[in-house]
Amino acid sequence: MRRYDLITPEGTRDYLFEECALKRIVENRTREIFKSMGYSRLITPGLEFYDVFSLNSRYFPQEELCKLTDQKGRLMVVRPDSTMPIARVAATRLKDAPLPLRLYYTQPVYNFAPSLKGRSTEVHQTGIELIGSESRMADVEVISAALSVLSTVGKDVPVKLGMNCSLELGDVRIFRELMHRLTATPAQKEEIRDLIEAKNYPALNDMLDKLGDDRITRALRKLPTLFGGEEVFARAAEVFQDERIQAILDSMQALYRTIRSLAGETNVIVDLGLVNKTDYYTGLVIKGYMEGYGEEVISGGRYDKLLADFGYDVPAVGMAVNVDAVANVIGKKYAPRAVPADVLVAAEAGYEAAAVLCADKLRETGLCVEYALDAESAEEHARTRGIARLIRIGAEGEKEVVL
Amino acid sequence: MDRPIRIALTKGRLEKDTVRLLESLGYDCTAVHEKGRRLILPIPDGNMEVVLAKAADVITYVEHGVCDMGVVGKDTLMEMNGKLFELVDLGFGRCKFALATKKDHPFYDGFGVKTIATKYPNVTRAFFERKGMDVDIVKIEGSVELAPLLGLADGIVDIVETGTTLKENGLAVVEDVAKISARLIVNTVSLKMRQQEIEALVRKVEEKINDPADQV
Repeated sequence: MRRYDLITPEGTRDYLFEECALKRIVENRTREIFKSMGYSRLITPGLEFYDVFSLNSRYFPQEELCKLTDQKGRLMVVRPDSTMPIARVAATRLKDAPLPLRLYYTQPVYNFAPSLKGRSTEVHQTGIELIGSESRMADVEVISAALSVLSTVGKDVPVKLGMNCSLELGDVRIFRELMHRLTATPAQKEEIRDLIEAKNYPALNDMLDKLGDDRITRALRKLPTLFGGEEVFARAAEVFQDERIQAILDSMQALYRTIRSLAGETNVIVDLGLVNKTDYYTGLVIKGYMEGYGEEVISGGRYDKLLADFGYDVPAVGMAVNVDAVANVIGKKYAPRAVPADVLVAAEAGYEAAAVLCADKLRETGLCVEYALDAESAEEHARTRGIARLIRIGAEGEKEVVL
Repeated sequence: MDRPIRIALTKGRLEKDTVRLLESLGYDCTAVHEKGRRLILPIPDGNMEVVLAKAADVITYVEHGVCDMGVVGKDTLMEMNGKLFELVDLGFGRCKFALATKKDHPFYDGFGVKTIATKYPNVTRAFFERKGMDVDIVKIEGSVELAPLLGLADGIVDIVETGTTLKENGLAVVEDVAKISARLIVNTVSLKMRQQEIEALVRKVEEKINDPADQV
């Protein structure tokens, strides 16, 4: 029995008219930014082998992947992420291409979201990957692209959005450095990471109490509290008092100043406690926030070890924009209206070809022209749809009808 | 001025405890006391508003960022597993999750797969997964204590406060699963976008609850 023929699976939806228009606004804007920075688009398949997503660098929870098998029984997944497929392409077909590679994508990713929590399985993303450089300028390039997205995404909208945006910088190397020196079991370390990610101060303190009181545990206690503006660097220096960590902090602070000088009205903030479990990031981490959306709308960072998992050991940095989230934020302030056609062309029987020729000529001048499919009711159609002009084509040639 | 900071409170006892805490910090909670049937209530002098919701909904609202902060029990947080910041253990609403079974019944004996009745299937699953134990979980909506008495389950995982209900029904705790108390949670973006306001409030709350002379 067909029970599900009229609905879409949970977490997916049809995008119609305004929803589609909002998404296009975001996609077009970001595409312009990426293209103008020298990025080339690539399209990866919707289906990939499971193995592409089963690596050391990043953990994809099994239960969130949409899985299926191919004709030979091999496990495939519907793309849950675009960076891994791009790493795969870079490590194979692009292995001999000159570096750096600048690639961008605009395509959905699929992750089963927890049921009935208002989240989507299908999320449209657009993003860039800059492969083959570990330079400071590469970081600045990617962050400035993120800044451009935040600051100009409302440019093509006729109303002023006037919303606050923030760009956040972090660096997982500080956490890694501390964990490297901490004496604890892998399970304990994983729990500490979870607690720092959740900024769960009380439980983190309890956990670290068990591991004794030394410089490392005291630093870990403070790590999730180290977020805010530039004052964070001074506070961090005091907390850590360590040469190697100070070197990371100094380079972060220099980057922070560079970015802030570019940021305009976007706030630039720092969080040294950004330590996400599912990330493949090895250094810089970036997140972008927009007022009115409860999660990050941009996320990215440096992933210098990911390509090595595919047998091509080159550094890389990138970021992705959640198109649905940005469209959602814009949609709260601006509803795109469906624009009616400029001209309606109605053909008498036998004059269809003449009507097509007439319409094509008008379209060449930039007008949007529709055909009246029923010549009799053309006036009424034009009026209900709000089409300003009606041209009738028949034995007497072209005749503009006054509406 | 920005829109008020929205705080979702778990209706019932946690709401009362939180209101008492806010009042002891000097906020005017008259509107919350005289709420009638309204669900969104202003705290005029704090540029805050209070939203009253069921525990699980507090997490949903905070996770989506439609509320900036929330007060909710650790029990619901463990069951729902949301992506948010859990900043403060407020200290009130203390109790625990425990595994209980019929008194003097050796729960772990035998090789059969145990059946556990609970209102908290995720907490239960995580607890037994850590032990490497396969169990059948039966979700019960009302008094979970009935299930072992009626012979449906070998044991229960439930919230235990004083243990009186267990005792009166001939049940006893086998093992504690986790400690529970009320937590102050914050949306991950709100904390960053409105850091100063939220941190100032959090600091006041922490000072209050850590002050031994002034336990709420």
